[in-house]
Amino acid sequence: MRASLAVTALAVLVAALAAVPWLVSDYGLGFITNLMCYVVLTVAWALFSGTTRYVSLATAAFFGLGAYTVAMLIKEVPIYATFGAALVLGTLVAALVGLATLRISGMFFVIFGFGLSELARELLVWWEINRTHTMGRYVFVSFDTTMIYEHLLGLAVLVFLVGWLLRRTRLGVALLVIGDDETMARQAGVNVPLAKVTMFVVSSVFMTIVGAVMAPRFGYLTPNIAFNPMISFQVVIMALLGGMQRLWGPLLGVIPLIVLSELLQIRFPFWYSVFLGLVFMVIVYFLPRGVTGLVEDGWELLRRLSLRARLLRRQPSGAR
Amino acid sequence: MLLEVDGLTKAFGGLLAVSDMSLAVSPGEVLGLIGPNGSGKTTLLNLIAGTIRSDAGTIRMDGEDVTRLPNHLRVRRRINRTFQLVRMPPNLPAIVGVMAGVMYGAEPKRYKDAEYEAAGILGELNLLLKAGHRLDQLTYIEQKRVELARALATGPRVLLLDEWLSGLSPGELEGGMSVVWSLAAQGIAVILVEHVMTAVRALCSRVVVMNAGVKIAEGPPAEVLRDAEVIRAYLGDDDARGP
Repeated sequence: MRASLAVTALAVLVAALAAVPWLVSDYGLGFITNLMCYVVLTVAWALFSGTTRYVSLATAAFFGLGAYTVAMLIKEVPIYATFGAALVLGTLVAALVGLATLRISGMFFVIFGFGLSELARELLVWWEINRTHTMGRYVFVSFDTTMIYEHLLGLAVLVFLVGWLLRRTRLGVALLVIGDDETMARQAGVNVPLAKVTMFVVSSVFMTIVGAVMAPRFGYLTPNIAFNPMISFQVVIMALLGGMQRLWGPLLGVIPLIVLSELLQIRFPFWYSVFLGLVFMVIVYFLPRGVTGLVEDGWELLRRLSLRARLLRRQPSGAR
Repeated sequence: MLLEVDGLTKAFGGLLAVSDMSLAVSPGEVLGLIGPNGSGKTTLLNLIAGTIRSDAGTIRMDGEDVTRLPNHLRVRRRINRTFQLVRMPPNLPAIVGVMAGVMYGAEPKRYKDAEYEAAGILGELNLLLKAGHRLDQLTYIEQKRVELARALATGPRVLLLDEWLSGLSPGELEGGMSVVWSLAAQGIAVILVEHVMTAVRALCSRVVVMNAGVKIAEGPPAEVLRDAEVIRAYLGDDDARGP
């Protein structure tokens, strides 16, 4: 009964979100599209990094891979074919990168992810200048912002579904255990590299597809735009700010940061990076479990207070 | 013999931690593995479990050569262990680690059935009420039992216990020993690395003594513990000459 109620509520929510493009201005649509883009990226990031605790800075690499694949192929084939190509490429690259890097741990993995996206960017710049002699590609297709938004909404539903299912499968438990104690995971019989690579691929493919869907939104793409390292950093900070103990945790980081970036970037474009840095410091020093942790603690406090109030009321007067 | 170890060797740089070790256990047997600190007992356990790889020698489980198999595949070949310092996920409820064992063990179960099964294993070790506790909310003995539950969840036929009975009060020790007994009675071959000699004498039908990476004695505990070389290894030359 409660479960079916929740499903109905979620269905209504998704339907309402799907109707948004017809209710808001062009500016509003652009804003919510950007928001939805980061929702999918951040939840996908948390799927892998939240469970295994491998901090990945490769988000921009996969986002860029998707976006640039579309940019390079859009003149030759229909748009859904370019999405398909991005899907295949994303899977292959993620599997390769996963196999090569998930044996290295901690800081090295972080740096590798960052290095990978920078390498991809520089390589593409070199390729475009020396081989194709084009710097910058136009993505002009009849795929307007409403379409982009609806596709991103679909991806958001899908990524939440994957996360929800993951918590009810063997792989999900394996990843939780790996994140907590890898040696023990092996001793429980978990094929640790396989589990990690699988999840890395799933997470990275989502990022690739988001990049592909977002390509028409840019209209004009250079490797520097597609592989913008800010994407990686923002996603990490959003996920950490939101907290990753709950599936919806990252939302609490994405929404405030996107709103703030929108407000700040209009008037003080340079202050946004400063602000991101400050947020990061606040998380590290005061909010290790993110806003989700804050919400959970607050909820627990309220529950206890109301319990105590009820107990006090029940106590007969003069008993003390 | 269920598990046969032959000529197993492992060096860390210039240090020969385990050298040409051979031993075997049969189902339902409790084999004691003793020796002074640093004699290579834990390294030998690590080699058998697959926690680390050996340089030379073979490990056969039920006739199959498992020497080259990675850790998780040996778990599925029914070799499991506990660690000297308990290893369970520190931030997750105790039952989650046990569920991982149930789902990825020798007879992998689906998620749906894993919780029920894990609860059953915890129940057998009197831990059912602790299923939702994190590791730091458990007492020392409970932590050790939870880790044993994780090992048992994978359905082992060979179980390596690394000082599983150490640091217990006399009452707890008795409880721990009866657990080991019941494991052996179920047909599990147990290799017990232990410094608690009361437990070794009571539980083990056979004892292997290691010193500086090599086997220096093997036999029934009463005999082996009288052996002059064993006493020398533990206590030094002077005491070994005896009266």
